[in-house]
Amino acid sequence: MSGMLHYEFMRIALVMAVLIGLTAPAVGTFIVQRRLSLLGDGIGHIALTGIGLGLLTSTSPVLGALVVSVLGAVAIEVLRARSRSGADVVLALLFYGGLAGGVILTSANGGGGTSLQSYLFGSITSVTMTDLYVVAALAAAVLGIVGVFGRELFLLCQDEEVARAAGLPVRFLGVLIAATAAVTVVISMRAIGLLLVSALMIVPVAAAQQVARGFRGTMLAAMGLGVLSAVSGLAGSFKYDLPPGPTIVLLALALFVAAVAGGSVARRRRARAGTAGDGLPAAGPGAQTRVDAEAEVLGG
Amino acid sequence: MSDTSTSRPPFAVTGGRVRRDGRDVLSGVDLRVEPGDVLAVVGPNGAGKSTLVKALLGLVPLAGGRVEIYGVPPARFRGWRRIGYVPQRLPMGGGVPATVREVVMSGRVGRTSRWLPSLFADRAADRAAVDRALETVGLAERARESSHLLSGGQQQRVLIARALAGEPDVLVMDEPTAGVDARSQAALASALRGLADAGKTIVLVTHEFGPMEPLITRTVELRDGRVVRDDRVRRTAGSAA
Repeated sequence: MSGMLHYEFMRIALVMAVLIGLTAPAVGTFIVQRRLSLLGDGIGHIALTGIGLGLLTSTSPVLGALVVSVLGAVAIEVLRARSRSGADVVLALLFYGGLAGGVILTSANGGGGTSLQSYLFGSITSVTMTDLYVVAALAAAVLGIVGVFGRELFLLCQDEEVARAAGLPVRFLGVLIAATAAVTVVISMRAIGLLLVSALMIVPVAAAQQVARGFRGTMLAAMGLGVLSAVSGLAGSFKYDLPPGPTIVLLALALFVAAVAGGSVARRRRARAGTAGDGLPAAGPGAQTRVDAEAEVLGG
Repeated sequence: MSDTSTSRPPFAVTGGRVRRDGRDVLSGVDLRVEPGDVLAVVGPNGAGKSTLVKALLGLVPLAGGRVEIYGVPPARFRGWRRIGYVPQRLPMGGGVPATVREVVMSGRVGRTSRWLPSLFADRAADRAAVDRALETVGLAERARESSHLLSGGQQQRVLIARALAGEPDVLVMDEPTAGVDARSQAALASALRGLADAGKTIVLVTHEFGPMEPLITRTVELRDGRVVRDDRVRRTAGSAA
């Protein structure tokens, strides 16, 4: 473990992993609640065009990805709000366009395979202090938005009509979530890669919701699991010479499987306590909890 | 604005038309909800009851006519904290669990400052309002449980508590008693009686009055998107029984 700390890029990457592990699940909790689990994937595809543009114009690929993916996310949100039936097709068109555009632009640049590969699946050997400053600033912005607008976003993701009837600016908040997700994708792409980036937004949340009872609890647990899988995945990838992104994602999935098992055991125990104990209100709710717990496992 | 708007009716719709999929769901509805009304919207399935209350709240666009909330069109209305809306939909939220307390607390959102890190700081007034709302619907001891694991009737009461937590002047409820057992209905009726006695305005869509019947001061019946009956029951001048 201490061996990898001799390398500056590993020290930078580990700090980055902590930031990503905190940020991605925090945003992901709202994304999952809004039933937009694949939003991050779509943004990742779109971001690729931004990287292509950045490489082609010899400006920063990260800046290109940031601008294009935020614009893309806002476009997705506007289309989603406007049309009900045709929205998914329009989204698919945007995703494919983003991916194809990115490949064309990077190959036109001549950089070709290797640089594209590093953005698709992540590459941490080349991270610099400048990258870290950018990621830290963006992560602070994302966590700040979650802190300031958390309660509004919670109500929006619960029920958009109730949020409107409460006088919330639902269009603004919807765009805010989408744009925040886009920034998160850009933060995470260096370590995890665009094709797997949304896994760290979704999988820790899916794991946390197996064991947590509330929204805040789910978010905090997901952030903890996110940091755990990002840091240990990075360490594992260094030790065993594996690509970092897939290692992080597989570890997060392993945590999810463990959470499913642990959660159903805990709920079964709680349900049994509910039926056996006389202090708790009747057998009905307990039995129902058990049924729901199993349904949830199947659903997840 | 609030000075002039207190004399205005909570809701007024004139010539309200709503079209969906090429047909009129509401066709030319005129309705003026007066302050203090306890108004039941009744009618068969598909008569446009839910659409009417959504139109009153500005949640569905009108194809014709106009709606005013306290004299202001919904798009320019700013006094949303005076309105509490209980939607019909039972399955709450998305895939992430939320405790009963978290859901009810979100009803306070229109009353809290946007610039406080609200997710991590509960304020005393919010807490007190949430406690009262939970007490009113009889879910105080379940505040820390996951709301999606409750029964249908209990979930409905969570949604009502969320609206109550905002301490609104007007409560709009879409089928609040659907799937709610008799005991919860009685609890709900007594909660509504307290609100009605305090002069609040209540609009509710319902199939059956049940224990709420004595509270109702006005019944509006819809059929095929039109108002076919608008009866006032005078609670004071009515039957002495």
